[in-house]
Amino acid sequence: MVTMSLSKDLVLEVRGVSKSYTSGGKVFEVLKDINFVVGREYITILGPSGCGKSTLLKIIAGVEKPDKGEVVFNIGGKVRIGFVFQFPTLLPWMTVLGNVTLPLIAAGVPKNDAVERARRVLKIVGLEELDDFYPSELSGGMKQRVNIARALAVEPDILLMDEPFSNLDPLTAENLRSEVLDIWSSSILPIKSVIMVTHNVEEAVLMSDKIIILSPRPARIVKVVDVNIPRPRTRKMTEVQELVDRVYEYVS
Amino acid sequence: MTQSIEELVVELVVSTLLSLERMFVAYLLSLLLALVIGVVMARNKYVESVLLPILDILQSIPILGFFPAVFLIFINTLGPIVGGELSSIFLIITSLIWNMIFGVYSSIKSLDPSVDYLARIYRLSSIHKFLYIYVPASRSSIAANSIVSWAGGWFFLTSAEVLSMGKTEYRLKGLGSLIIKAFEDGNTTLYIAGLLTLSTVIIISYLMIWNPFTMKYTDTKILLGFMRIYNSIDRIVSKTWGSIAGKLIMMYNFIKSRVGSTHTVFLILPILSIQYLLYPYPKNLYGVDYSILSKVLRYGEDFLLEVPNTLIRVYSVVVVGLVISVLLAYISHTRFRVGKLVVMSGEVLSSIPAMIWWPILLPLLQGFPYVVMGFIYLQGSLWYTFFNILIFGLSNLKGNILEFSRIYGIRGVLYLSKVFIPSLLPSILAGGLSASGGAWNASIAAEYIAFGDLVVDMGGVGSLLNKQAMAGDVLGILLTSLFMSLIIVSINKLVWVKVLRRISGYYVVE
Repeated sequence: MVTMSLSKDLVLEVRGVSKSYTSGGKVFEVLKDINFVVGREYITILGPSGCGKSTLLKIIAGVEKPDKGEVVFNIGGKVRIGFVFQFPTLLPWMTVLGNVTLPLIAAGVPKNDAVERARRVLKIVGLEELDDFYPSELSGGMKQRVNIARALAVEPDILLMDEPFSNLDPLTAENLRSEVLDIWSSSILPIKSVIMVTHNVEEAVLMSDKIIILSPRPARIVKVVDVNIPRPRTRKMTEVQELVDRVYEYVS
Repeated sequence: MTQSIEELVVELVVSTLLSLERMFVAYLLSLLLALVIGVVMARNKYVESVLLPILDILQSIPILGFFPAVFLIFINTLGPIVGGELSSIFLIITSLIWNMIFGVYSSIKSLDPSVDYLARIYRLSSIHKFLYIYVPASRSSIAANSIVSWAGGWFFLTSAEVLSMGKTEYRLKGLGSLIIKAFEDGNTTLYIAGLLTLSTVIIISYLMIWNPFTMKYTDTKILLGFMRIYNSIDRIVSKTWGSIAGKLIMMYNFIKSRVGSTHTVFLILPILSIQYLLYPYPKNLYGVDYSILSKVLRYGEDFLLEVPNTLIRVYSVVVVGLVISVLLAYISHTRFRVGKLVVMSGEVLSSIPAMIWWPILLPLLQGFPYVVMGFIYLQGSLWYTFFNILIFGLSNLKGNILEFSRIYGIRGVLYLSKVFIPSLLPSILAGGLSASGGAWNASIAAEYIAFGDLVVDMGGVGSLLNKQAMAGDVLGILLTSLFMSLIIVSINKLVWVKVLRRISGYYVVE
């Protein structure tokens, strides 16, 4: 097993993150003392529905504040984050191209460069022909591709994905999974780490380098499993099947 | 006095342009204000908690009652020309803006929270959020509300161009004042020509602006869509816009090449105001004498004596309006073609200003004053329920509910009571709330009608306000309007809002 040299390969560190919500006078503890490090790798956060995985992802993205703890980035300059939403979250009044360029324009990228970059990522996700379509004219799988393209367009250091394949039909999900892996392994984009949230054990084993398994609410880390299976992985590989079984034991 | 055809045409064209300009300025200001206020209100809890009740009151009080006071303040501080014009625009804005603000506010409020995360994750600045998210998100409600507002604006145009306060009457040149004057002078040719021009302007602005606008930004394809000739109209409209835009861009570039872009705007604005120098207004402004020493208690007593009348009338009219609207909604819902026709007729009927009805209503006034009063009441309130239910309400009746009803054979009374009316309930209540505000406001026009020597006084708070205005009694107007607002706001808070809160969350089908 390769030992990670922390100083160089460390991308971000989640330190002692806790979070609770108050609703109707009751306090719900969502996350309890979460600690882990992320290197240059594909990480999956696995846990039952409603355990606070998405909250953790939003804390890493910086749009939610933890009650305790912090997220430390080991990246010089401003951290660029791409976020793939669980539901495509496309603005219905903008074309595909408009939706993908919006974050770039917000970041101050000149219009022409933004369009050029958007076209490039749309080509990567296979939507270059559809850039002047409106979201309502697209299928669910296409919308999710736009969602992914939008996250890739910002040329993120860290790509965060919130159950990106959970609302797609199995065939489309399968195709998109392998495309995301292709993009990740081909390093055509400068993505240092991917953090994906899922409740699908098989998906976690097939895609990631490391699986962080969370308990039901309040979520704590039950186990961190390294996945040292060579890629490309398929469901039929015995290693994959064995690991899936093992991970299921931790989950249940 | 005879006028040559040429004079008549010039008179008509100038008046029309002045009225149109007033409407556009008022509309654009309302739009801008509505967007800013609506967005800030929806996005900032503190602003929301302060502004929401204030706007609620402003929306429901009879602006017409307060108006003479505003008029006096403007004229006294800014002089008759600027002051008169500003009061007129102010009055039009007060008839346009409220539903637009609430439209923007509710569209931003109902925005998917993930859009908020999106904006934060990709660090959109306030201006970007405003331009790329908030403005487009409120487009459809702006489109739908603009139709109602624009119609309301024309409806109020007469009041906005003939400003009166006791003995002081002040007329702004415009189509509304022209028609009134022609009527008073007995100049039938000019009167009819004025009415025709007005109707033409309303229909053209509807065809050129609102219909394309709503078709583009709302799912309702029913507006005017039924016409066979629609496609050709549509082609003409886009062609006209194309050439107008082309000419404007040419003009703009020409001016820009001479003076630079920032100065161009400042150059255009004065051009618009030159007309005021060309058409000076008659100066017939007198001082108004009124005594502030009048007893507050006496006004309260007067008010309490009159309020039951108006209360009964207002809420009966609201109920009648609701019944009509729900019935029409059911007919449009079951018969698609008829539905298109109903909505389109509503569009046109709602924007016809009250004065067009006078030739029909005047003969009725002597024999059947209640019919005339009811008509004016309805005209001021029905359209709120009509548009709310037929445009917003019906579009909520989504495909899956219809399929569900069809699959399980839910028909007839069961369908009406368990599916149809409950799905419309949010819009029935929202429409009813606005409609009662409209009816209160209409009471001022409906309960006291004076035309030449003919005076019909039906009693009620509206009539009281009229008499106080005739007497130039500013204190009386202010106090009566305040009492009236108090009653309206208490009813809204105690009844309407409670019901609205109870049903929200239950009756929205996803």
